[in-house]
Formats: sequence, C-alpha cells, structure tokens
Amino acid sequence: MTDIAFYALSALAIWSGWRVFRVDSMIRATFALMVSFICVGGIALLMSADYIGIATVFMMAVEMMVMGLFMVMFMMNPAGLNPMQMVHQHRFSIGAGIAAFIGLTVAVLATNLPNNPLPAGRDTLHDLGVELLGGSMLIFETAGVTLLATMVGAVVLSSRPGRFGDSDAGAVPPGLQPGGQPAGRKVEKSGGHGGHGGDSSHDMNMKGAPKSDDAPHKRHGKMPEEES
Amino acid sequence: MTFAPALTTLILFLAIGIWIAAILDAVFYRRISGQGGVSVLSPFYAAAAHLSRQRLTTEAPDRLNWYLAIAGYLAIATIGLAVVPFGPETAVIGIKTSVVLWGACESLVVVLVFLHGWSPNSPLALIGAYRYVAIGLPIMLLSMFVLIAAALPARSLDLRDIVASQEGLWNIIRQPLGLPLFLLLGLSLTLRGPFDYADSADLAGGTSVEDSGANRAGWQVARLAMLVGFSAIAASTFLGGYLGPILPGIVWLAIKTLILMAVVIGLSHLLARMPVARMLGLIWKFLLPIAFVDLLLAGLVALA
Repeated sequence: MTDIAFYALSALAIWSGWRVFRVDSMIRATFALMVSFICVGGIALLMSADYIGIATVFMMAVEMMVMGLFMVMFMMNPAGLNPMQMVHQHRFSIGAGIAAFIGLTVAVLATNLPNNPLPAGRDTLHDLGVELLGGSMLIFETAGVTLLATMVGAVVLSSRPGRFGDSDAGAVPPGLQPGGQPAGRKVEKSGGHGGHGGDSSHDMNMKGAPKSDDAPHKRHGKMPEEES
Repeated sequence: MTFAPALTTLILFLAIGIWIAAILDAVFYRRISGQGGVSVLSPFYAAAAHLSRQRLTTEAPDRLNWYLAIAGYLAIATIGLAVVPFGPETAVIGIKTSVVLWGACESLVVVLVFLHGWSPNSPLALIGAYRYVAIGLPIMLLSMFVLIAAALPARSLDLRDIVASQEGLWNIIRQPLGLPLFLLLGLSLTLRGPFDYADSADLAGGTSVEDSGANRAGWQVARLAMLVGFSAIAASTFLGGYLGPILPGIVWLAIKTLILMAVVIGLSHLLARMPVARMLGLIWKFLLPIAFVDLLLAGLVALA
C-alpha cells in the first residue's frame, strides 16, 4: 500500500515537474511546480516525516502563489493567459539539465542512505524540534516575529501612506516644462451652478428663463419670473 | 470510535452542516431585508435550479484547472473538518501535526480560489482572483499567529491536544484576541461579506461569474462546506470543541459549530466591504500587530 502510494506520488511529481517546462503559461507552470512539490511532501508523509511533509505543502502553496503573481506582474502579460514560450537558452539549459541529473543521480547512488525504520508511535515532531532548534526555540520564535514586523515596517515607511495623501500626490501628471503646470486637460472654471457651466438643459423646466451661457449667474440672484 | 464510524460522522456532519448553513444564510438575509420566512427545503430548490441549467463555458478556458479548483475547494473543506476531533482522541485524520495540516488547507484555499478565477479566461473573474490573493494571503498569515498562540498552552500542534488543554478554561477566555481575528479568516476562506473580494456583487459574481449549472452549484456547496469546516476548527480551537457536560461530545461540537456558523454568516451580512487598498492597510498595519500581541500574551502566560 505504501509502495503503491510512493510510486504514484513519485510519478505525479516527475510528470508535473516535466509539465513545468512544457506548458505555455506562467500560471500553469507555477502550479505544475506546486503539484510536484506537494507530491514530494506526500512522500515525506509516507516516511513518517509528518511535519516536514505538511510544511512543504503549506510553504509551497504560499510561495508558488506569490511567485506566480510576481511573475505575471513583472512580465506584463495580463493574467498569464496569453500563450508564451516558457523556456529560453535551449542549448545551455539542456546541458545544465543533463549535468544536474547526472550529478544528483551519482550523489543518490553513492550515498550510503540510512535504513533504520522508525519504531511505531515515535513522536518525530518533538525529535525534529529538538534537533533543529534545541533550547533556542524562544529566541527563534521572537526573531521570526521581529523580522516580520520589521519587513512590514519597512514597506509601510517606503510606501507613502494614504490613498488621498502623499502617495497620490504623484498621480498628478508631470509638467510639460520642468516645474511647470501639470500636463493634461484643464478643468474649466464655470458658473456657480453645480459645475454644469454653460449647459442650458436645466432651463427646460424654468418658465421664461433665457437660454444663454450666463443664465446660471443670473438665476442665483432673482427668480425667473422676475426676469421675464 | 474507529475509522469507519468517524468517517460516517464526518460525512453526516458536513452534509447537515451545509444544509443548515444555506438556510441560515437565507434567514439572515431575509431578516435584514425585512422579508418573510424561509422554507427549510429552499437550499434544495436552489440546488435543483442550478443543476437544471446548462453548463456554459468561455472561449479558451483552462478546463482542467477550472474543475480542479471547484473539486479541490470542496476537498480542502472536507480535510479541514477531518482534523477536528469528534471526541477524545477521535478524529478522522488523527496526526500530531493537524494544526499545520489546517494551515496547509488555508494556503491551498488561496491557490484554488485564484485558479477558479483565473481558469475561465474572463476579465471579471480574473480581477476577483487577483484581488482575493492580495487579501487572502495576509489574512492567512495573521491566522498562523493566532493558531500558534492557541497551540502554546497545549504544548502540541495536535488539535486533539488543543481541545484537551481547554478542559478547565476555554481559549476564548484565555486568549480573548484569538477568536475575533480567527473569524476574519473564516470570512475570507468562505468568500463572505467584508472579505468577499473574490465572488462579490461588484464584480457580478467575481471568480464564479462564468460558472453555470452544476459548476455553480458545486462552487456554492464548496463555500458552505468550507464554512462548516472552518466553524468546527474554530469551535475546537477556541470554544473547547467536544468538551461539555451531560450531552455527548459530538452534540457539543455541533452546537458550538452552529453558533460560530451563525456568527460568521451574521457578520458577512452586517459588515460592508472596504476598498482593497484600505483593507490591506487595515490588515498589515492594525490586525497583524494585534495578532502579535495575541501571540506575545500567550507566550508570556506559557513562560509564567
């Protein structure tokens, strides 16, 4: 049963890894890679490495999501739906791929891999925590939270705050001359009738009001009846 | 309980939960809008209406990812419910790292909702997908701190131990900041109310704008299933799960899940949705520091 699961997960990991280079979209490539990693996480679960396996799934899902998003943003290919070539520098990458494959295969075959099955019911999670961090768990935890707070602080400080405040000051187009008036359409200053300016359509309901451009000015002072 | 009865309980819990969630949703909406009562069969009428419609498709969609997103969302909701202990030492997925597994479920929800909006090759769905990622990721990050804080008094990443550690005092009292923050995650995971940046009305349905027929029914069922799964997780993490006097554990869990489901649905109907930029500011500059405080307090209590 475990063997079947191992081979199935391995096959899916290799197939989806191969798809990363064959699909024509950044999003598809990203999530094919995610599937590959999730399969590797599943194999870790089979090896009783619960935490490492599940953490792999967890980390890879977030990482691939962020990576896909950033790739699409930087490549200016809205949505990553347009077909695009996902491989470049063919000759170099084929060479690098073959070299990496041979190197890793030699490393796997040459290593004397341990073969001591875990006793049933062994708490690998506790062992892993002690092995990785020993007595520094509190320091690690504190450093992690501090680093995240620092990152958020850096972003907040470097992006001027406020939708209607500082950062939007740059939304005014730059001047045609250095330091000159902003380019683009100028808003016409018009009569005090709610920005409707010379538009005389309002007068349709007004009995006897003259349909001229300066009508709004006059109407503020006196009633239309008085005018006629 | 061995595996087979636990699995049966899980399926029944999920099915009945989805049905009640759908009714609650309709009842809240009708109460607020001042309309009359709701038939308990109305979810089935809605499902029948969806299923009797054709399944339309768009030009050049990614059909595989589209279907996988809908099926995956339902599967993730089920896995979430499966780590919830129905009684002492009884959970369908009883592993030592069940909180981490739930964390993996949370992060996969962001991926699947994104794929659901990306796959149809349609502009409004795509906007919903990108918007959701921007909000879904930081909310998920925030929930991690809340969950670590809840795991601290239990000294375990096992949800069964976390429930057992609340024997004397529930986490909602021990860590009062935890549940409100975690409920925001629930709104985000189930694409609801103030955190509905994926499937909202301002995008004419967002990621599900192109879903019709069985696809739409499937997506709606998955959203309700996620609500059930999330509420059961939250009930176990903060309200002591199956713990309670006289009644059997599963009944207590069901009652607490139902209460949290009603709270999430109520919040989703009563709170308005902010612009994305403001919500991002709120999450990163206000809610995340509160999550830090939650973790800090839990850590100090654990050290003391």
